[in-house]
Amino acid sequence: MIGETLELTVVGVDDIAPSLRHVRLAAADGGQLPPASAGANIQLRLQGEARTWRNAYSLISQPGRRDVYEIIVRRVPESRGGSAFVHEVLKPGDRLVASWPSNLFAPQRTARHHLMIAGGIGITPFLSYVADFAHNGASHALHVCCRESETATFAPWLQDCGDLNYYWDADGHRLDIPALLAQQPAGTHLYVCGPAALNDQVIQAAADAGWPASHVHCEHFGAALSGGTPFTAFLSRSGIEVEVGESESLLEAIERIGASAPCLCRGGACGVCVTGVLEGEPEHRDHYLGADEREGGQLIMPCVSRARSARLVLDL
Amino acid sequence: MMQSQITSRPRYRELVAEDTAGAHLLIVEGDTLTPRQMAALAAAFAPVAERMQTWLVSAPATALAPGRVRKLQTVEEAAATLEHMDEGFGIADRLYLQGTEPFMWMLAAAATRAGLSPTQIRMQHAGSLKRRVWCTHCHQTTENVTTNIATCAGCGRELLVRDHFSRRLGAFMGVMVDAEAPGEVPQREEVFP
Ligand code: FES
Repeated sequence: MIGETLELTVVGVDDIAPSLRHVRLAAADGGQLPPASAGANIQLRLQGEARTWRNAYSLISQPGRRDVYEIIVRRVPESRGGSAFVHEVLKPGDRLVASWPSNLFAPQRTARHHLMIAGGIGITPFLSYVADFAHNGASHALHVCCRESETATFAPWLQDCGDLNYYWDADGHRLDIPALLAQQPAGTHLYVCGPAALNDQVIQAAADAGWPASHVHCEHFGAALSGGTPFTAFLSRSGIEVEVGESESLLEAIERIGASAPCLCRGGACGVCVTGVLEGEPEHRDHYLGADEREGGQLIMPCVSRARSARLVLDL
Repeated sequence: MMQSQITSRPRYRELVAEDTAGAHLLIVEGDTLTPRQMAALAAAFAPVAERMQTWLVSAPATALAPGRVRKLQTVEEAAATLEHMDEGFGIADRLYLQGTEPFMWMLAAAATRAGLSPTQIRMQHAGSLKRRVWCTHCHQTTENVTTNIATCAGCGRELLVRDHFSRRLGAFMGVMVDAEAPGEVPQREEVFP
């Protein structure tokens, strides 16, 4: 974890949909929290019985609010026990350690219009965006792809949303991405946050239509993708060998044995965790390394990537 | 992915149509237009011809151009038209400029005010190397400067024309040439023909 940590207390948990839990957190000492800007996230250390998870969540609270941080956690059935822990174990009064808020996905202040596309739980960063835009009178539109049953779930946070549209997987209700992207005014910035397939589709459609890349922004939340075939990692500098299990990430395995590894987004986006590979073949799942670096095979992002070979030797 | 704030001079390249789904607008400074250049532009823009408009500014009446052609008298008129287009620009549109630096930068500034991102604008230098010079003392601009030292149209100072370029002003900086040693003014030479 980077920088200082925060001690938080859970002050409320609410199930706002069968698989969505709204969690409110306050400073454990009753003081003020560091202010966070629209699109910021925090990393929570979730201490289970057998293991610890570190998951990053977007703050959905009003930007700048100092008394409470709010997050929404979707329960992911397979892998990643962190979300199950939040849903089953976490209760008011519990203490948590968190990172300071960081922001890898802040809105572009020079935009004339903000066009947001959310997929499922990828709506969370946009809840704080909308609050920010409504407050500043910035022109914006939010397009949400979600389950039909969840169209009302986020309404409490979207009351001030200027232009709000829902789509779901049924005839006549699907989002036509190329059509949406074809008719936007100059000065528009596009933001997408959702499952990898949606992100890729939107980025591709924008490129095809001729959007300047400088106006297209994406937040990946790749945490759910970090599991896979078990393998062995050898940390050459500390001389420690660790088995990476199928439901944990390489980074989590490194943290589990107490080795310190830098990280920030834990989703393969920020580049902070980059680590040298001395032997073995990485299986890259990040959004950070360029094609050359991937092919070079000498770098890996342990927060999401794994190994193709049975063993990886890391410069760590 | 962010816009660069660097104020140095951009690199100008030969114009190539980018086959985006948006509209394409080419604005050419008419007196830089040779038949050969026109043929090159027509070839370069053939792939987007049906989504293309060309504005010829101060061009001879007989000039031809690709796409739908519109003729305008002055660069000021072109800039005003650009800034106040009813439909506005779309995010996938492209603006291509060909001409002298003062011409291109005046239009780029107008397009930016109309919401166009610098990443949607392409420029190809043609014609004279003359510069617009911005006086760092009185903040007036002097047009059509072809010499290394120019007399400021605002305050009359003798200005040394520097290579430092401001994209916002579309002009090169001019600083008083004899500020250190009054009266010592080097030979004036034509360097931006
Ligand atoms: S922690 Fe951000 S890329 Fe790994």
